[in-house]
Amino acid sequence: MSLTPAAQPVPADEPAAPLAAAASSPGRAHARWLAGLARAARRPLMAAVAAPLLAGALLLAQTWFLAQVLHQAIAEGAPVGTLYGGIAVVATLMGARVLLTWLGERAGQRAAESIKLSLRQALFAQLLARGPQWTRGQRSGELASMLAEQVEALDGFFSRYLPAMVAAAFLPLAFALALMPVDWVAGLILLLTAPLIPVFMALVGWGAEAANRRHLQAFARLSGFFADRVRGLATLKLFGRAQAEAQAVRDATEVVRAKTMAVLRIAFLSSAVLEFFAALGVAGVALYVGLSYLGFVDLRVSPLSLQAGLFCLLMAPEVYAPLRQFAAHYHDRATARAATAQLAATFETLPEPAALAAGQGQETLRAPAAQPASDAAALQVSGLVLRAPGRPLPVIDAAGFSLAPGEHVALAGASGIGKSTLLEALAGLRDGEGTIRLDGRPLADWPRADLRQRVALISQRPYLQAGSIAGNLRLAAPQADAEALHRAAERAGVLRFAQDLPQGLDTELGPRGYGLSGGQAQRVALARLFLRDPGLVLLDEPTAHLDGGTRDAVLREILAFCEGRTLLLVTHDEAVLDAFPRVLRIQAGGRVA
Amino acid sequence: MSTPVHARTAALPAQAAAGASMPARRHWARDLWRLLAPLYRQRAGALAAAFALAGVTLAAGVGLLGVSGWFLTGAALTTAGMAFNLFAPSALVRGLSFLRIAARYGERVTGHGATLRLLADLRTVVFGKLLPLDLAQLSRYRDGDLVARLTGDVDALDSVFLLVLVPIACALLGGAALGVVLGLWLPAAAWTLAVSVGASALLVPWWLAQASRAPGAAAQQAAAELRSQALQAVEGHADLLALDAEGAARREFAQACTALSRARQRQANLGTAGQAALQAVAGACVLAVLVWGLPALRNGTLPGPVLVGLLLAVLGFFEVVGPLMRGASRLGGAASAGARVAELAALSPAVRDPGTPAPPPADVTLRVEAVDYAYAPGGRAVLRDVSLSVAPGERIALVGESGAGKSTLLSLLLRLADPTAGRVTLGGVDLRALRQQDLHARVTLLSQDAPVFLGTVRTNLLIGAPEAGEAALWEALDAAGLGAFVRGLPEGLDTWTGETGRTLSAGQARRLCLARALLSPARVLVLDEPTQGLDAETERAFLADLPRAARGRSVVLSTHASLPPGVMHRVLRVESGRLLPVAGPV
Repeated sequence: MSLTPAAQPVPADEPAAPLAAAASSPGRAHARWLAGLARAARRPLMAAVAAPLLAGALLLAQTWFLAQVLHQAIAEGAPVGTLYGGIAVVATLMGARVLLTWLGERAGQRAAESIKLSLRQALFAQLLARGPQWTRGQRSGELASMLAEQVEALDGFFSRYLPAMVAAAFLPLAFALALMPVDWVAGLILLLTAPLIPVFMALVGWGAEAANRRHLQAFARLSGFFADRVRGLATLKLFGRAQAEAQAVRDATEVVRAKTMAVLRIAFLSSAVLEFFAALGVAGVALYVGLSYLGFVDLRVSPLSLQAGLFCLLMAPEVYAPLRQFAAHYHDRATARAATAQLAATFETLPEPAALAAGQGQETLRAPAAQPASDAAALQVSGLVLRAPGRPLPVIDAAGFSLAPGEHVALAGASGIGKSTLLEALAGLRDGEGTIRLDGRPLADWPRADLRQRVALISQRPYLQAGSIAGNLRLAAPQADAEALHRAAERAGVLRFAQDLPQGLDTELGPRGYGLSGGQAQRVALARLFLRDPGLVLLDEPTAHLDGGTRDAVLREILAFCEGRTLLLVTHDEAVLDAFPRVLRIQAGGRVA
Repeated sequence: MSTPVHARTAALPAQAAAGASMPARRHWARDLWRLLAPLYRQRAGALAAAFALAGVTLAAGVGLLGVSGWFLTGAALTTAGMAFNLFAPSALVRGLSFLRIAARYGERVTGHGATLRLLADLRTVVFGKLLPLDLAQLSRYRDGDLVARLTGDVDALDSVFLLVLVPIACALLGGAALGVVLGLWLPAAAWTLAVSVGASALLVPWWLAQASRAPGAAAQQAAAELRSQALQAVEGHADLLALDAEGAARREFAQACTALSRARQRQANLGTAGQAALQAVAGACVLAVLVWGLPALRNGTLPGPVLVGLLLAVLGFFEVVGPLMRGASRLGGAASAGARVAELAALSPAVRDPGTPAPPPADVTLRVEAVDYAYAPGGRAVLRDVSLSVAPGERIALVGESGAGKSTLLSLLLRLADPTAGRVTLGGVDLRALRQQDLHARVTLLSQDAPVFLGTVRTNLLIGAPEAGEAALWEALDAAGLGAFVRGLPEGLDTWTGETGRTLSAGQARRLCLARALLSPARVLVLDEPTQGLDAETERAFLADLPRAARGRSVVLSTHASLPPGVMHRVLRVESGRLLPVAGPV
């Protein structure tokens, strides 16, 4: 392998099956979904669509009066004083159009914002509902990019594309028809050239969409790549990979640049095609009108007045203006569809538009569950089989054991053998075959909220978020008062180090608990346990990274807290194992005994 | 690295302010220019070409409409067809239309091509600036925030040239040219045009940029917050569910979404207001030509065809400068994005290389000489008067309570921080006199939070030693106790590790990082709790195997594990910042 590892920003052989599937995904279903979302903001969208149509009608009148003023002044030699009335009408119409356009654009933006807002929340709720097993298979940087950038990419579709599309469908036709009574030849020229434009645009647009999808994919990967490298910056530096990484960043951004440029080239080409036809139409009208004046062409019953000629000339570019506007926003549609494909590929199922319209995205948060019985829980496991992706054999195979209410049991086994996997399954965070019964009731039948109240799991790599230590504790008990936090912190040995901090429990931590040692982070996570009131306690190596003295103190507190509760505690530590009357072991091959 | 909180986190509350920092009110334009000017200079040729083509596009567009109006009116007034020269104007109309189409296409391709290259340059520069920073500096930013700065913020800067600088310059130049032509017949209308162009190309954009800075900054901030919330939820998903904190997470996410939505709406409102202002100004100019042109027509000083030509030229001019407002309303966002990028680019590393580095010594004896260390000047000392010597090939273990200062001491050996007093030397040379790169080629570290990178087992290992062969990789994996597991995987070394190694168990991820450190050619291995996350049996096996895996290299490790006899040459205890020998046989 000649490539250095860091020089592979976007590995070709990654398991990107969902992304690959996007290429062949049913674009029509996505388009329907997008159109369905529009229902979530029906009223502002209607205003946004109606405004340009109305403004178009006003434009016809404005141009007519402007041509009339010029005709009277130039061809009829009318005195200046008599023209001011016409000028005032033109000015009024101009003002009204400005106002209409302004109102329409604001309404379009409002519609887009309300759709994005409910969609983001619906997707986030869906993400949480998928369970940790699903998110672990994803890249966090890419998921975040889905919620931030890809949803944002839908913006133009609603705020600009939809109004422009309706305007492009009606206005050119209406303008050309309005020209007919004035001069049927000019009207016909425009009527014939205008429909050619959408045909060519569609041809070009197909290419643009594929290119756009590749671009968005590249951008999402770039985000994921940056997230990964930023996380490991210190390590890269220590291994002297700084130079290679700078090069990798250059390569990664170069990929995005090339793909973006491919999208833009197609977009520019399509607008050049459009302008070519528009130029053809305008030049045709100008030439026809000029030749009519000069007497070279004579297709009319009565001679063409200056007013009629100017009206035709002024309206000719306006016939193409809605199409040009539409073309300018056509890439918004391509962007939105590509983003939809990305969202669909990542989330597999997209939220129902109807549900968004009903405001389910902002679904009300449930009231705290009724206080469950806080007595010790009973646990029975039978025939449990757990698998992990990429591992041919089950991690846990046909496990069967039970814990009596109030029993304290340690779980041991070599590292990597599946202890953490088993705990997650017992907490209902991971699916498997076989049955797990809590208080005699299968785990699958428990309402999720009740289950969370009944079972507490403190994982091995506890998650601390940026924020204060107190804030991190409150994650477990949002209503806990300062005194309760203090007590929990004391029991978990958090106060031992927090006392020395300038702001105590209010000290801010960096991302992932930066600022705490491994053992300190573990104790903060443990303090969360003491804020809850579960019947079954599952602890994953709560005493790792702790020195002997601290370990013994923490273990005493754990056992005291679990008096009258059922406890299953994973550990490697022989000294900890000695404190348990019963020890379960996971053997090689995934048997539990 | 893991060390007690103290001064490291004392810097954190200031972080929120730093993240939201907007450029000082008066200097934002200058700051933005300072960031972009050197990049523009690098791509000057292509940018100049794009600008020239934009000018041609504008001139052709205005000329086209003006000539058509003049031609048509002239034709209408001509009674005898033969007297009118038909061919010059009609050729002009055709030529100008095609010139305009070609020039616009060329302008867009060259302009966007140059801008995109420029953004790639900027990303590389900013990422390069991040590399030498130390952890304390990086910890002030959330990962999501840093990523946002590198992707979205840098992208927001693309609008500056194409949507702001070019249209404004074109509008001013084109407006001046059109004003001169208009002034030949209608000086008063020419002044109106001058004022209108000034207003629409300078005043309104300036106001828009000022007014949109607050929502622009708010939108960037909210987008970064939203991204952070999402990253947090994904990383802490299992814990969030286990703690029943899902509702809180959703509430916070909803808040971030709402904030973003509000900011974007305000931004868009400004854009539409600018657009409306431009439309109104354009209308006013057309009316001005009419109001002053009609009396002139009556006086006979202005021929009818010229009046119509001028009127259409003015209409065409404002159509072409239309995009200016969209760009201007994004200028505020670009300015705050620029400030956020510039803030990163301006960070200077706390630990610097010397101007003239000493040649790296051949001897790898590490010596800590009477070292004190505190996170903040005058703060509580984390290490006090610590001295330690590590001879080549010597293996030393540091034990002691968590938080006693073990990790801090180890970090000084790699100059991840400089001691407050005393010095650390390698082969008798003060670390501060060495290039960090030279030091890190000789001393390497397995930190407590060493990450598994996105990639395969192989690519992760190769970060430690890019040239390592297959055999060396397996040897390192075996030494770290991961060889058997990887052999059992269907794809072996090419198994995908997933982000932050989540397809591996905690212990397996740890062992992969350990193997990576063992692969490093460095002669001194510094291992911070290397066996954390391993079960007792693997831990014992690893420690017993350490002399062989180290292959005569020096080893300094910190641990809570009980050490098998004969593995380490010396065991020292770190206690409240002091280093004490451990009595008794090792």
